[in-house]
Amino acid sequence: MPNNSIKLLAPDVHRGLAELVSKRLGTHLTSSKLERDPTGEVTFSIGESVRGQDIFIITQIGAGDVNDRVLELLIMINASKTASAKRITAVIPNFPYARQDRKDKSRAPITAKLMADMLTTAGCDHVITMELHASQIQGFFDVPLDNLYAEPSVVRYIRENVNFNDAIIISPDAGGAKRAATLADRLDLNFALIHKERARANEVSRMVLVGDVRDKVCIIVDDMADTCGTLAKAADVLLENKARSVIAIVTHGILSGNAIKNINNSKLDRVVCTNTVPFESKMKLCPKLDVIDISGVLAESIRRLHNGESISYLFKHYPL
Amino acid sequence: MGDIVVFGGSSHPELVNMICENLGVPSSRVDLSKFSNGETNVQIGESVREKDVYLIQSGCGHVNDNFMELLIMISACKSASASRITAVMPYFCYSRQPDIPFTSKGAPLITKANKNSNIEGDILSPAPSALMTQRPGSMSPFKVADEEVRTSTNQTLKKSVSASRIPIVSSKKDPKGTEANEAFNAQNAGYKLWVAQSGTLIANLLTAAGADHVITMDLHDPQFPGFFNIPVDNLYCRPLVQNYIQHHIPDYKDAVIVSPDAGGAKRATAIADSLELSFALIHKERRSQLLKGPPDATLTSGGGLNVSTTPLISNLNSTEITNSPSKYIQTTMLVGDVRNKVCIIVDDLVDTSYTVTRAAKLLKDQGASKVYAIVTHGIFSGDALARIAQSEIDQFVISNTVPQDETISALGKDKVGIMDVSRVIGEAIRRIHNGESISMLFEHGW
Repeated sequence: MPNNSIKLLAPDVHRGLAELVSKRLGTHLTSSKLERDPTGEVTFSIGESVRGQDIFIITQIGAGDVNDRVLELLIMINASKTASAKRITAVIPNFPYARQDRKDKSRAPITAKLMADMLTTAGCDHVITMELHASQIQGFFDVPLDNLYAEPSVVRYIRENVNFNDAIIISPDAGGAKRAATLADRLDLNFALIHKERARANEVSRMVLVGDVRDKVCIIVDDMADTCGTLAKAADVLLENKARSVIAIVTHGILSGNAIKNINNSKLDRVVCTNTVPFESKMKLCPKLDVIDISGVLAESIRRLHNGESISYLFKHYPL
Repeated sequence: MGDIVVFGGSSHPELVNMICENLGVPSSRVDLSKFSNGETNVQIGESVREKDVYLIQSGCGHVNDNFMELLIMISACKSASASRITAVMPYFCYSRQPDIPFTSKGAPLITKANKNSNIEGDILSPAPSALMTQRPGSMSPFKVADEEVRTSTNQTLKKSVSASRIPIVSSKKDPKGTEANEAFNAQNAGYKLWVAQSGTLIANLLTAAGADHVITMDLHDPQFPGFFNIPVDNLYCRPLVQNYIQHHIPDYKDAVIVSPDAGGAKRATAIADSLELSFALIHKERRSQLLKGPPDATLTSGGGLNVSTTPLISNLNSTEITNSPSKYIQTTMLVGDVRNKVCIIVDDLVDTSYTVTRAAKLLKDQGASKVYAIVTHGIFSGDALARIAQSEIDQFVISNTVPQDETISALGKDKVGIMDVSRVIGEAIRRIHNGESISMLFEHGW
């Protein structure tokens, strides 16, 4: 066996993305076994030697049992570390606790920083994420973190699946304006913004549209869709302003709580998410959902990382 | 008790209240909830600046959620400028890894019988024929075992065996990925795999989150504090156990302390010595071959210990494990005399309850008049409580490091005794806060 080859590990649930990546890399997932004992504690064992190998642990963290997935990931990293792996890279497309990245109230925890510390403590040497909620989270880590962008995949999806000649890119809030603007530039489209006016905290906010959407196909772009309440409201506002139709493209479709109900009841034509989050089961409940496969980007970044090549090409281009 | 702040996690609020009552300090407000996507949300409700903070969270219930909650609480206090943060974990999760893999039902994976057999029946009532006591002049138990294995392989397959810490993966039929599972088994059967050792990891995570001190109780491995770079105070339940025996067990002076496995012998002898009681040991053995000859001297015992001089060996459940590459025989033997005596099984942890119920069965078969079980941490996973309810145990004594409401409702009030650890933990917190020695708690309890 050649030394220092790529070994892909994945937990026993949500292996879909890991399998897609392994297929693209022309390799297979390393056999491993994750056992939960009746108390809920996790035991992990790797089925073959990983001494001196380059380990990539691919995990999809969605809504629900986030903490279980996190602990499993940490235990997998630690098991690889103690088995003398040469380098361990955690591939976490949807970084958990990314939204708790600041002390916004007194004595609030900065859980994203805690996650970073925990990953490094477990023995992680490198982290690959996708579309971090705040790119400053990279600074929380003592190890290199490669933050990939879904934008090339989104551009490709829009070119292939949306009649984009009379489309317009919409940012659902001021924070996402930059993301929407760069996407609009890439596609040479116009751009509009929905501004949430919040008179007072905990009050129903009023949404104001900035820009002209008359007779246009509106593409709402955001990095994360959780309960989808904002998306549904944004669609209402756009249609009130005489938009022809509205679709939403989000990177991380967490779709928790009433998300499916909200989407089904909303005026959105389609909600497109990447497969950073496992939501195959939800696609059956909601015909409006569509998926963008980002396994190509992950596979290519893993290959480039392993060979010591530059990754920045992937920020702008979709790999072949 | 000036600048002390105590927060309780969501795992065991009752114990938190009891500890706070003992300390005379109200537990401080902390809002624990979950975001809609499953992430844990912690909001510390009081200022902790330059305070001595104690966070109480037991490793029970949904372990991973509770552990993450503790880590986030530690981190929140750290970034809110607490002067010292002490994690109080009455039961320390992940403290006994790696161990036998378990099925979702709570049985060791290795014993998983084929699907058609009535697993529960086998577990709850081992076939009487499998239980043998050697009497003078009788046939060697090993010979019987040998014959039994030869004649009825099918039946022996069904019997429960518990193996030591080698995670052999059984040939259980997993609904998903059966093929992969079997390939995995064929590849790795019998080997010590590349198994995760979570001990150091858990220790490092606590330190990374910002804990300065850890208080726990009756750690499964005495080596565990060595994984930490911060002080770990491991409190003992032993004084409480002794106290319970002296006050609640009639005629305890004639009782025998029994350790259900060799690993707990030290714990049991310490109690037996300080109460001046006799001691017996149940030993599980895995032999790589079937023994043909009569048991030799290594299998008898009694010398040196405060037991009767007649060697008494019993052999329970001789079973062949056929799914491992080489043939193993499992024997359980009792070392020591328990006839017509009150037996007190002492252990640190009961989870699947296989060990303790089997020990009770063996003791009753050896003529024990009454069997008590005193265990520090009662996790009771799977159908452990049902198994205990049907077992030979007359009274089950357990501490409240883990909530025990379910135990009481399942076994009935008369059959359960609860040891309260809140006073010991409360006193430890008080002493640590005041910078006093806590070693007195090891000997006398509170």
